[in-house]
Amino acid sequence: MQRREFLSVTLGALALAVVPASVRAEDFRKAKPTVWTAHTVDDAIKAMYGTTSTVEKGVKLKTPDVASNGGAIPVDYSTKIKAKTIAVFQDANPEAAVCVNTVHPNSVTDYSIKIKMQKSGTITVVVEGEDGKLYSAKKTLEVAKGGCEG
Amino acid sequence: MKVKAKLKGNTVKVKCMAKHEMSTYNQAEKRTGNRDNANFITHISATCNGETVFESSTSQFLSKNPIFKYQFKGKKGDKVEMAWTDRKGKSGKGSTKVK
Repeated sequence: MQRREFLSVTLGALALAVVPASVRAEDFRKAKPTVWTAHTVDDAIKAMYGTTSTVEKGVKLKTPDVASNGGAIPVDYSTKIKAKTIAVFQDANPEAAVCVNTVHPNSVTDYSIKIKMQKSGTITVVVEGEDGKLYSAKKTLEVAKGGCEG
Repeated sequence: MKVKAKLKGNTVKVKCMAKHEMSTYNQAEKRTGNRDNANFITHISATCNGETVFESSTSQFLSKNPIFKYQFKGKKGDKVEMAWTDRKGKSGKGSTKVK
């Protein structure tokens, strides 16, 4: 490892470590840039949480089985688990990450968003619980007309 | 951006839409020949009475003019303020009162 790289990595880790837990509001695009360039779901989850082992329970994920328009696929997800962050990934597009939600004290962990997928694929929702464990839900759906135009 | 907030029980349900093109790298390359012209919302957040209730770091794979729905514990008359920033540094905001 280059010395410069080593320094920046160490300093970055230190800077993250000193931020108190109460100030969790953060932009994950700045904090974890590698998440957003990862090409596979596993790589992205690993970049985000450091591990890919998740428990497949406790997370509800609802999407249509066949999406007629890949440009706006409704994705609803919720969980009763006390969560820190909730991340959405898919494997149909060039990069895997879609969004990462930070959960705040007054938040109710029930979201719906609309996403783009260029072909059929699987959506994965990962919930980082306050107990440090990862919970996930997966759903495979067919996309009739791709939404990313190549 | 458009924001609507409605109280149900003690939960406020918010629906909002940000007007944004949300172009991906591939779309930008196809239209302009330069991948770097891609522009999409990278961070969106909402506060209620000064306290953050919703926060999301997002990528280019949200739909065009993305719609977000989320919920939080609140009461009638609370003021919800939302803001987003995109990849080029532009920002937008919107606010509403809980009905």
